[in-house]
Amino acid sequence: MSDTNASSPATETTQAKVVIERTYRARVEELWELWTTKAGFESWWGPEGFRVEVDALEARAGGALSYEMIADAPDAIAAMKRMGQPLSHATRGRFAEFKPHERLTLVHVIDFLPGAAPYESTIAVDFHASGENARMVVTLHPHRDEYWTRMSVEGFRSQLTKLDKLFGGPARLPLALQA
Amino acid sequence: MQLHPFEALADPTRRFIVGVLRSGERPVGEIVGQAGIHQSGVSRHLRILQESGFVSVRRDGQRRLYALRPGPFRELDAWLSDYRRLWEARLDRFGVALEERRKDRGATKKEPRR
Repeated sequence: MSDTNASSPATETTQAKVVIERTYRARVEELWELWTTKAGFESWWGPEGFRVEVDALEARAGGALSYEMIADAPDAIAAMKRMGQPLSHATRGRFAEFKPHERLTLVHVIDFLPGAAPYESTIAVDFHASGENARMVVTLHPHRDEYWTRMSVEGFRSQLTKLDKLFGGPARLPLALQA
Repeated sequence: MQLHPFEALADPTRRFIVGVLRSGERPVGEIVGQAGIHQSGVSRHLRILQESGFVSVRRDGQRRLYALRPGPFRELDAWLSDYRRLWEARLDRFGVALEERRKDRGATKKEPRR
């Protein structure tokens, strides 16, 4: 029910789309597990300063994904309090497309914004094996994602700056593996 | 009420109007001609775009000419950069998690079963 159709003539000119590509020294199957298993998903899904607890993860097309996103680090807790937001958000979504080791799309239902009609936000992930490496292409449509808009605008900028410092060292490592 | 830039551009007709104005200043009649919807609809969308700062209007005799203003687009651009960095950081963590899993496996599976 989203308006991702291509029929609007202006869509391609102004619809924001962010594509991020990463190459990891790993097998595609290992990457896939980080998206499609409870332990895998919990090990990295953010944002920074938050941890997630997966309630349900059904690894199949149409399968449900629901989790609690919990402010964990002192900075994140303080930021959420400042914004008058609860420290824990129940988040739900589903795997729309699910082609093991090839492609998945993860649809989040954004229905917790006061004053905003519920909408869906889609993340598409494509996996490609290339020799000893695995390439992952993440496609995001942030203009739908009012949630992140507010989070970012209302105070995540400072979080990001801190994050940069935090990742100043270790971030070089994965960067070196990028295609 | 002023909409957030993303909300202002969430509507396909407004995105279409912005698309038309990308080639320069236009009178409302010309925008109506291209958008293929009723003038009152276009005027409403133009008003919303104007209120959220995307569009300016000036009088030229009988006509009202609409043009894009760069401010909100820059804001969007800055926001998108932040958004991208947020995801870059998220995928950094993905890489770290991947490494840790590999290490764990290497440690526990020196002698793989069967």
